[in-house]
Amino acid sequence: MKLLETAGLTKNFGGLVAVDEVNFAVEKGELKGIIGPNGAGKTTFFNLITGSLKPTRGKVSLNGEDISGLPPHLISRKGISRTFQITNIFPEMTVYESVWAGVNSRAKQPWNPFIHAGAATDISRKTKEICQMVGLDSKMGELSTNLSHGDQRVLEIAIALSTEPILLLLDEPTQGVSPKEIDTMISVVRKVSEVAAVVLIEHNMDIVLELSDNITVLENGRTVTEGSPSEISANREVQKIFLGIE
Amino acid sequence: MPFKDSGQGLRTASSGFREFKSRMSNKQTPFVMLAVAVVVILIGPFLPPGLRSLVIEIMILCIFAMGYDILLGFTDQCSLGQSIFFGTGAYGVVLAISYLNANLWLALIIAVIASIVLAFLTGLIAVRLSEAYFVIITAIFFSIFYLLSLSMSWLTGGDDGISITVPSLSLGFTELSLYNPLVNYYFAFFFLIISYLILTRVVGSPLGKVFISIRENSERTKFLGYNVFRYKLIAFILAGLFAGLSGALYAIRLRYGSADFFSFDWSVLPIVWVLIGGTGTLIGPCIGVVIMSLFQYYVSAWWAQYLIIVGVLIIVILRVSPKGIVGYIRSRKGKVKEKG
Repeated sequence: MKLLETAGLTKNFGGLVAVDEVNFAVEKGELKGIIGPNGAGKTTFFNLITGSLKPTRGKVSLNGEDISGLPPHLISRKGISRTFQITNIFPEMTVYESVWAGVNSRAKQPWNPFIHAGAATDISRKTKEICQMVGLDSKMGELSTNLSHGDQRVLEIAIALSTEPILLLLDEPTQGVSPKEIDTMISVVRKVSEVAAVVLIEHNMDIVLELSDNITVLENGRTVTEGSPSEISANREVQKIFLGIE
Repeated sequence: MPFKDSGQGLRTASSGFREFKSRMSNKQTPFVMLAVAVVVILIGPFLPPGLRSLVIEIMILCIFAMGYDILLGFTDQCSLGQSIFFGTGAYGVVLAISYLNANLWLALIIAVIASIVLAFLTGLIAVRLSEAYFVIITAIFFSIFYLLSLSMSWLTGGDDGISITVPSLSLGFTELSLYNPLVNYYFAFFFLIISYLILTRVVGSPLGKVFISIRENSERTKFLGYNVFRYKLIAFILAGLFAGLSGALYAIRLRYGSADFFSFDWSVLPIVWVLIGGTGTLIGPCIGVVIMSLFQYYVSAWWAQYLIIVGVLIIVILRVSPKGIVGYIRSRKGKVKEKG
């Protein structure tokens, strides 16, 4: 059984077909890349999987269970987590608090009004582990809004990781990240892919080719082709889309 | 065995406490609060009657303000309908005493439960809506309840209201009359302290931290697996509960309830208190109450149009510090620390 599978997934915005009959699958432990020009429907595809949008047609299943049309918080509880193309963090919360919020959501009583938030030792330990894993442990006490853009992009991933997902959808993690910080980001994505299956949307071809086990190419909402990094880089049609080679 | 390693557990637990940025307080705050509490207790008998009555009013309204801070300051829901729960609390007490002959404790319980139920029902509808729509629907609810309270005068007494004889306060071993202003003073103080302790507990708990996540980024909070609607509803009910308690105590102090408890003043005042005092701080809204009440008490005496000054004052405070008075003090302290 596939970890994630979409069958004929379609989303129309009025007359515009943003995602068109996409059949897509992710295996356990896989790191799958999605590439495509602007407007190809990559982010819409993520929105359909995570419940931000309801599909017009088609099905999303996780471990064989139909999850299409569920609201975001329930899909999160099934084990799918995501990051956002435009940094989507908690500005006036510290790094620790932001990650803690995700870890706490999996506690037995995340709404407990009677204990101190710091009293649950397993939650604070887990929070620190995640900060360590992504290399933000020295900045746990800093307000998210004061972090550098690169660190905010890493925090974006740390927050997504905090809910212990089995599948992590990364939407352009290197967006706007300086060349100096890109190496950090690559190593973070590598580490993350050891604990969860990852789907990576990325514009930087070098990074996608280096990281992915498999790549899907989208254009105008359709799957153009699928294959290993070497197959994709050799594919004439892909070259046509990305390089304009006739 | 849960007891065996409790020492170990406590030590590691304390390491988790320090990780949270303290928004509410710093190390001195508990001592400052304790000092304030002791002063309030000690000066009670020595205050001139007029001032004592003002302090009682301030204490009662602080409960209202802190509850509203949970709504506006912690979950970013600007309700214009809080007078509904203030009025419900007031009538809960008044009707329970005049129709059911309830004793004081029972009347208070009825008032609070009525507020909770009403907050739950209106919240179910209002909390689903976001931002501007939330403000509008709560304002609509306010109008409905205000008009109902005026027109259903057979029940509410309308503008004239219903006067009650406040039953004496039974403490088990003794009975105290709330007609004694000093008893009234400590009665209000008791509920203020209880409310403050409960709300600081809530704010420091996991529930409070989820509230802050919702304020900071409610969309992202959904993607962490939280049912944001449910949490916002809890905040709405908490605010309704304390508004109701405050209304009940206010009615007991005035010994009557009227449609005026549902009026727009009681929907706008909480917003003013919280904004000028500082959102998301609990103490700030109390400072807001003190400023507004003192202003009303002293300035309205020599100029009837004192609200104009209040308006200017609010604008000035929010221009200088959008986070209110407490926010201003905090940011000044932060700057001093950075320099040193």
